[in-house]
Amino acid sequence: MEVGQLQRRLVDYTKSLLTEGILDDQFSQLQKLQDESNPGFLVEVVSLFFEDSEKLLNDITRALDQQGVDFKTVDAYVHQLKGSSASVGALKLKNACVAFRSFCEEQSMEGCLRSLQEVKQEYYNVKNKVETLFKMEKQIVAAGGSVPKTE
Amino acid sequence: MQRVAQSSVTTCVAGSYSSCKASGASGSDPEVMGYEQFPAGLRVLVVDDDVTCLRIIEQMLHRCRYNVTTCSEATVALNLLRERKGCFDVVLSDVHMPDMDGYKLLEHVGLEMDLPVIMMSADGRTSAVMKGIRHGACDYLIKPIREEELKNIWQHVLRKKWNENKELEHSGSLEENDRHKRGNDDAEYASSANEGAEGMKAQKKRSNAKDEDDGELENDDLSTSKKPRVVWSVELHQQFVSAVNQLGLDKAVPKRILELMNVPGLTRENVASHLQKFRLYLKRLSGVAQQQSGVSNTICGPMDPNVKLGSLGQFDIQALAASGQIPPQTLAALHAELLGRPTGNLMSAMDQPALLQALLQGSKHIPIEHGVAYGQPLVKCQSDISKHFQQSKVSSVEDISSGFGAWPSNILGTVGPSNNLVGLSAQNTNMLMDLWQQQQQQQRQQQQELQPQSILSEPGCLINVQPSCLVVPTQSSASLQAGDSPASVSQNCHFNQSSVIDYSLVSSRSNNSSLNIAQFSNGGLNTTAGVPGGYLAPGSISSPMSSCSVNANNNLGQQGQNSTITFSAARQLPGFAPNRHDIQGSYTAKTVEMVDQGRLQNLGFVSKGTCFPSRFAVDEFESPMSNLGHGKLYVDNNRVKLEPNVDFMENTKVGIPILHHFSSNDVTSVFTE
Repeated sequence: MEVGQLQRRLVDYTKSLLTEGILDDQFSQLQKLQDESNPGFLVEVVSLFFEDSEKLLNDITRALDQQGVDFKTVDAYVHQLKGSSASVGALKLKNACVAFRSFCEEQSMEGCLRSLQEVKQEYYNVKNKVETLFKMEKQIVAAGGSVPKTE
Repeated sequence: MQRVAQSSVTTCVAGSYSSCKASGASGSDPEVMGYEQFPAGLRVLVVDDDVTCLRIIEQMLHRCRYNVTTCSEATVALNLLRERKGCFDVVLSDVHMPDMDGYKLLEHVGLEMDLPVIMMSADGRTSAVMKGIRHGACDYLIKPIREEELKNIWQHVLRKKWNENKELEHSGSLEENDRHKRGNDDAEYASSANEGAEGMKAQKKRSNAKDEDDGELENDDLSTSKKPRVVWSVELHQQFVSAVNQLGLDKAVPKRILELMNVPGLTRENVASHLQKFRLYLKRLSGVAQQQSGVSNTICGPMDPNVKLGSLGQFDIQALAASGQIPPQTLAALHAELLGRPTGNLMSAMDQPALLQALLQGSKHIPIEHGVAYGQPLVKCQSDISKHFQQSKVSSVEDISSGFGAWPSNILGTVGPSNNLVGLSAQNTNMLMDLWQQQQQQQRQQQQELQPQSILSEPGCLINVQPSCLVVPTQSSASLQAGDSPASVSQNCHFNQSSVIDYSLVSSRSNNSSLNIAQFSNGGLNTTAGVPGGYLAPGSISSPMSSCSVNANNNLGQQGQNSTITFSAARQLPGFAPNRHDIQGSYTAKTVEMVDQGRLQNLGFVSKGTCFPSRFAVDEFESPMSNLGHGKLYVDNNRVKLEPNVDFMENTKVGIPILHHFSSNDVTSVFTE
């Protein structure tokens, strides 16, 4: 595919993610933050996010696996995950975290377990989509083009 | 993943401190900083345990052309702030962090460094935001944070700076002392309260929602738009403290305190909030308040579990410095003195410029608490120092008295606006009390030339002069303030050949700058500063006190100007102790009582301007003159030691420039041998 096409595909893809609510404007902001002095910024941040999130998901899973579940601890983890999701613009994931927190408050074990599943799902979903996005960007750059900025 | 290296960005990860790239000199004042393109170059420290957020904000700040340093741990950030005072203009901190609550960090920063702190959180509930503001945050940003929001954070820096300057103006120079006496004192007190305002408020853990605001009245002079608050003047606070004493700390409930105080117009809420602060202060002192005697160990015990003695002092000193009460030199000297050992950490942490700046702005009262805290280290050091003083002997009380007499007057006279901290050892307390009484008389008069201190020299000290004490040469005084003759004081320092007495006397505007000592002798714990007793108590009562913080404010305008004069008698005290044993006994009870009260009083001042002589003083001396020129003093506590007068004198000159910075407030007279 030629560069122009790749670029259009990327733009459309990004738009769809925004429409679906998987990503929100914050993500676009991050894209804009990337500049010449910081070309790998977005990839860097997102990678940080993935790393951090996976760790958090593990922590949450473990915390829920305890004999005596400490909901406050779980809530703290979820709060953190919520914060980072919001920072990178992972909207659906963030919303899943919000729902999760309410179950933590209720101290509902069942609710928490279910929420955890949902959160994990959303996480892998957004991870997938963003990685696809980055791959597209790489292709564009490899083809000699530049990554178009989303409006 | 490759981290983009940005020249202006430094990242600190746990345990590693990257060099602080301070593009400008100290301070966040555009003029001072020398930024042509302010706000570009604003030095921001970002603290957030979420590395994703941290990276994003870092990038955003970078795009705002700020100088960014990031930290993922609050404790690391705090250490960084302490080590590189003056290296940052504003702090951005997350609320929820695993190692330290964001509000706690906010409190520390406000107390120690008096920097504007902006909170961040994904929690955007009104209650959370309100909590942040109540704790003294300059602003509260809700995540995800947008670049536009970060673009404007410089306004907080400037606003704070200008407000502080305005307060400084209020406090004015010596001439204005009288004016300060009345409402102005309140104003200053309030203003200083305000300015640390943000920071001070941060100290208050407003977990108690029902507590109304600070309950402090803001003086009309203050330009802020805060609602009126009760100004806790020195007298008021003393009344408060005595009421608490009467009831017993455990049983001190706002209602009863209010009744005992019997102050018209004061509400239970005012008292309650003040009590809360007071308790916090006491807690911070970790049990000092409870100690009546035998403080050596107890007092020395770090108040804050996490803080070592040195650190504690550092903390306090920094706080004092930050509050601008005490000239860095003074603080440094005193502190070093008190600690009797290299307060390496302390010194290093404090950057002269920052301190100076703080002091310049400050002229606020010095919270006694700080003085107390300071005193603690002294106590501890006492033991260490004891041996130093073996040789020094106090020939007699009279001698000391005379010595003191001369000395204090000078100090007082010169001090003027600045606050002086003088730490006195307990043993000397007795003697000191006598002296003070004498002093008191003298204080009222002009400042007398300090006689070659017999006392000083003999005992080797009542006051240990810190090598790094900042002696304020006459000239400096002129520059410093209106005529305060800090210089004179310093010159007096000479009198003590053998003993080095570093008295960084920073007297807050009061012409009296009476040493607390004087106050003390009056049993004046009730003095506004009333501190002397307080501080003495910890150390003094029980054993050779390491230091006694005398609040020089007492005479000063009665209000906030707390100048705390802490006599770093630490060194000397040991010397005195043996001689004064007999006297001590008689005074003990009184001292204790006074101290107690004083201490409480001092404690009460917690949030108000604390003077910490230590670091600064030491710093002052330690650093070579050249440093002074730059206004950046790095005190190497390890190097604190007694130095011959001659050297000191020379240092004095150096000190001048530094003093200069303080202009209005402080006069640090350092007596060195």
